[in-house]
Amino acid sequence: MARRNTEIDEEKKSRSVLFLLSAVALLVTGLWAVWNDNISRRPWKIFQYEFRNLEYKRAQDAVGAESARLEADPQYEDLQKQLVAARQSLTEGETARQIADRQARLAALEKRLAVVDLDLRFVKSELEEAWYELDHAREFGQPEEPRRARIDKLEAHRVETKKQYDDLTHQKEQLESEMKELQAGVKTIEDKIADVSAERTKLEQRLEGMVVLHVGPLKMLQVPRIEQAVIEEYDRNAYNQPIARVDRCVSCHSGIDKPGFEDQANPFKTHPDRDHLLSKHPPDKFGCTPCHDGQGASVNSVAQAHGDVPFWEHPLLRGEKVQARCNKCHMDVADVDHADHIAMGQKLFENLGCTGCHLVEGLEELPKVGPYLRRIGAKVDPSWLTRWVTNPHQFRPSTKMPNFLFAPEQGTAVAAYLLQASTKESQEWLAQYPAPPGVDARNSTLVARGQQITEQIGCKGCHAFAPGEHGPRLGAGVDEAANGADTGAGLRTSKDIAPNLANIAEKTNGRWIFHWLKNPRHFSPVSRMPSLRLSDDEAAAVTSYLLTLGAPKPEPPERLAALARPETIVDGEKLVRKYGCAGCHDIPGMENESRIGVELSAFGGKSVEELFFGDRYDVPRTWDDWTLNKIRTPRVYATERIEQVMPQFDLPDEDIKELRVFLTSRNEHVVPVKYRYKPNDPAQKQIVDGERLIAKYNCSGCHQIEGKGGFIRAFYQENLSLAPPILYGEGAKVQADWLFNFLKGPVPIRPWLKLRMPTFNLSDEDTNVLVDYFTARARKDIPFVYVDTGAIAPENIAAAKQLMSPDYFNCFSCHVQGDKNPEGPPEGWAPNLAMAKHRLNPDWILQWIHDPQKLQPGTKMPSFYPGGPDDVFGGDEDRQIRAIRDYLMVLGLPEGNRAGTQVAQRPPAGR
Amino acid sequence: MHRLMLGAVALLTGAMLAAPGSAYEGVDVADGGSISGDVKYQGDPPAPAKIVVTKDNEVCGKEKTSPDLIVGADKGIANVVVRISNIQKGKKLAPATTPPTFDQKGCEYAPHVLAFPAGSTVQILNSDGILHNVHTTSTANPSFNQAQPKFKKTIEAKIDKPEMPIKVQCDAHGWMHAWWISEDHPYYAVTDAKGAFKIADVPPGDYELELWHETLGKQTQKVSVKAKEDAKISVQMTKK
Ligand SMILES: [Cu+2]
Repeated sequence: MARRNTEIDEEKKSRSVLFLLSAVALLVTGLWAVWNDNISRRPWKIFQYEFRNLEYKRAQDAVGAESARLEADPQYEDLQKQLVAARQSLTEGETARQIADRQARLAALEKRLAVVDLDLRFVKSELEEAWYELDHAREFGQPEEPRRARIDKLEAHRVETKKQYDDLTHQKEQLESEMKELQAGVKTIEDKIADVSAERTKLEQRLEGMVVLHVGPLKMLQVPRIEQAVIEEYDRNAYNQPIARVDRCVSCHSGIDKPGFEDQANPFKTHPDRDHLLSKHPPDKFGCTPCHDGQGASVNSVAQAHGDVPFWEHPLLRGEKVQARCNKCHMDVADVDHADHIAMGQKLFENLGCTGCHLVEGLEELPKVGPYLRRIGAKVDPSWLTRWVTNPHQFRPSTKMPNFLFAPEQGTAVAAYLLQASTKESQEWLAQYPAPPGVDARNSTLVARGQQITEQIGCKGCHAFAPGEHGPRLGAGVDEAANGADTGAGLRTSKDIAPNLANIAEKTNGRWIFHWLKNPRHFSPVSRMPSLRLSDDEAAAVTSYLLTLGAPKPEPPERLAALARPETIVDGEKLVRKYGCAGCHDIPGMENESRIGVELSAFGGKSVEELFFGDRYDVPRTWDDWTLNKIRTPRVYATERIEQVMPQFDLPDEDIKELRVFLTSRNEHVVPVKYRYKPNDPAQKQIVDGERLIAKYNCSGCHQIEGKGGFIRAFYQENLSLAPPILYGEGAKVQADWLFNFLKGPVPIRPWLKLRMPTFNLSDEDTNVLVDYFTARARKDIPFVYVDTGAIAPENIAAAKQLMSPDYFNCFSCHVQGDKNPEGPPEGWAPNLAMAKHRLNPDWILQWIHDPQKLQPGTKMPSFYPGGPDDVFGGDEDRQIRAIRDYLMVLGLPEGNRAGTQVAQRPPAGR
Repeated sequence: MHRLMLGAVALLTGAMLAAPGSAYEGVDVADGGSISGDVKYQGDPPAPAKIVVTKDNEVCGKEKTSPDLIVGADKGIANVVVRISNIQKGKKLAPATTPPTFDQKGCEYAPHVLAFPAGSTVQILNSDGILHNVHTTSTANPSFNQAQPKFKKTIEAKIDKPEMPIKVQCDAHGWMHAWWISEDHPYYAVTDAKGAFKIADVPPGDYELELWHETLGKQTQKVSVKAKEDAKISVQMTKK
């Protein structure tokens, strides 16, 4: 009973409140689901919605602006008036009457035509029927005659009707064409108006194209949707299978590839280098993350999409780091626009000797950047060496040699080892290269002459001579005040490419300088310093001058005595090994040392968790901060228990940031060949290799090469024609074999230059690399072709001789001709034209004579064309120029023996 | 952003370039005064430098006097450019009735300093009958290097923009050089052999007179011009 009662109670209970609450909860949940799905979890929808409105508004404004422009355009207004007038003429006046007349006639005609047409059709079907009856009669043997008579009658009728029909059709066409002619005025004006307002029509169509649905006065724009680029096979999964990369960045960055949103903030902004970069890397093919990183597939939040979330390994690259992916597809970043930061980073990394300690894939085989120490004992003053090793930046802040932060006794120990280990080879060298006669630093005339020589022959293309002065520098070329991080003279500085020679006499002696100047390779087979082909007298003068820069500073006797102590030497050897000196220097006894630093091939991909911050809780936990601080103060993360040995470079932050871009670029990701920039183009490799050598030998300290470099030109601003020649299109200018021989053994070409092209003692291999570089730069496919100078027309030679004679161009007023020198002082002379046939590319000569200023702005060679004489080849200037070129190809050869002479030349581009 | 910045730079540059050109306005000057005077060497002038000629002696002679600094008997300095540097308004810059001529005679340029209104076409003569070349070093105008062989008696060079000085030299004869002055207003003069100059039709007002000489450098001088009066100026220049 009791139980039953309970049930009754339950049934009687009202659940309405609960139901109401549930219904409300369900409604709320439902609304929330819609809200969440469309708005809070889909921030990109809002962005896209906003952008589409913005875009629509802009398009509307554009239409408005164009309309306003048209309204204000008197031509448009005039056309409109003409149109009104023309239309009016169709409704009233003579034209209107004629049209009405034609229309009436046309209507009548059409009525008649309809009747005739119907008649014609009837006749045709009756004919069909008659033919059938004829066939039928034949089959059943009935008489054919009456049937045939009917056919004939019908046929006659058909011909008659057809004639009427054709006649009427012709009349109708004529009337129609008359109508058209009468209305033509309007059509012409309408066409003109369409022409003038074409831009507006285009804009209006674009505007209309944005609307997907009209609901009364309301317009509905495109519903937001995910926009994505699928980059096939761009990545590899954990099983090393190629997988696609999916980028949805454009779902928010809607304006990125649309012009006209440059003034917007992100995400709507147009790509700042759209014209340059996106035209070459269309986002639908390349996506965004291949250059920018980030988490391309994510659209849930800005932080997620940009990869700024824990454990995402490739957060968005910002600032100069945006260039850190160029190298994935471009083998030669030095030759790519918009890649200056990564190119500079790589240059610094290679030239500061980082590869001496750190292995980096692709940079394994670079030569050691430091001086050759096998004969160091014959070169340096021991006192100086102890100080130098202890802190090189004290003596020369701009040196590439880093500071190992040695205690003075450690410096002494390293010096002791180096001196002891190099004793044998130093002694041998000294035995071979005795003290030179004629060096005297107190002879002021000699010193002055030495100084004059250094200023004339081009030493300043590489070296500075005064404290604080700089030659050409690696990196940004800036000095930065030390912010507690430096170890040198109170500043962190971009490093000089070649040593500053201030105080050189503190470091070394006259005997060494003299022989070094004569030929650096005799002392160091790996030196980059070239020979300037100085005579003994000149070398003695320059040595005397250099010896006036600074003076030896002996250390206290106890320190010098320590150098010879066996235990010091043993300590030194340990230090040399521990600090990896052999990474940069060739040191006796250290031939088999390996790199002491960690490999950096994939350093850019390291996550913060993999980086060791030591006790430095003040350094923000990011890769960028870790790296900046590491390069700025390399032992910053050392702790009581963990020692660090990386030396201090004292670089300015600007250079450190460039290095950081390069390091960022080092990760494990390999881009498939199909995405890479001309991966199989041999010219790419030739340019990369050539540029490396040009940097190594600092060719651009003197020459401006393809628009870059030419440091020494700063000293010749008064008269740039005395500066080293600009090498622009050199590969197109000179013959490959000549260039090869010239690089091996330079000969003076420009008698007016006091500067000397040095002899670099290049290997055949390196020389070929340089020749290939210029060939590749000039976009030449093959270096040699054969030209038969025997085939040159004799009248060309005769004409050229006339043109070049004193009464005409008087070329030999300035140009040397074989062993005949022009009048006047050598600084007024111009290159020996007898050299041209072996040196210059015949095609280049044509362009040169045509317009020398175009090929080399500022050249002393004046333009003779246009302005050739009328009495040679009837004033045909092209023929005159060709004749001069032909003559130059044989100038200096014996008259009777020209046939069959061979000249190697480069083919013109594109052949 | 990049493009915007470029645009801004272009605008700015345009404005800067336009400024000097648009600054001068040509009007009618009724009650103009004048500035006249002379430029003298302060102290003892150095002996004129000699140039030994070793080329084309038949035409050029054996020795020349350097035109770098010519000081007359009364210490008057020739070839000083005297110009008002801050004039905004004045008589119209009339195009020259006869084009400025620039001769090469005896392997020297005549005149050594040639001043003309911008937009002029300089007639370059070669009276020598040997190869010269006319090589200008210009910044505002395009530089050119034109050969003038024996058979070319005259060549022409149009200088569109105001610029001073434009160096002209001959690469075949290292000593041959001259200066062209291209002006956007008519208030300039070049001193004669006595160092004298005169600038006429100057609207009354206070001006800055700029003096330039190739070896003695630049110097400025304030001057007040009163209506229909001649402002006398005597300036001294010397080697720094
Ligand atoms: Cu000349």
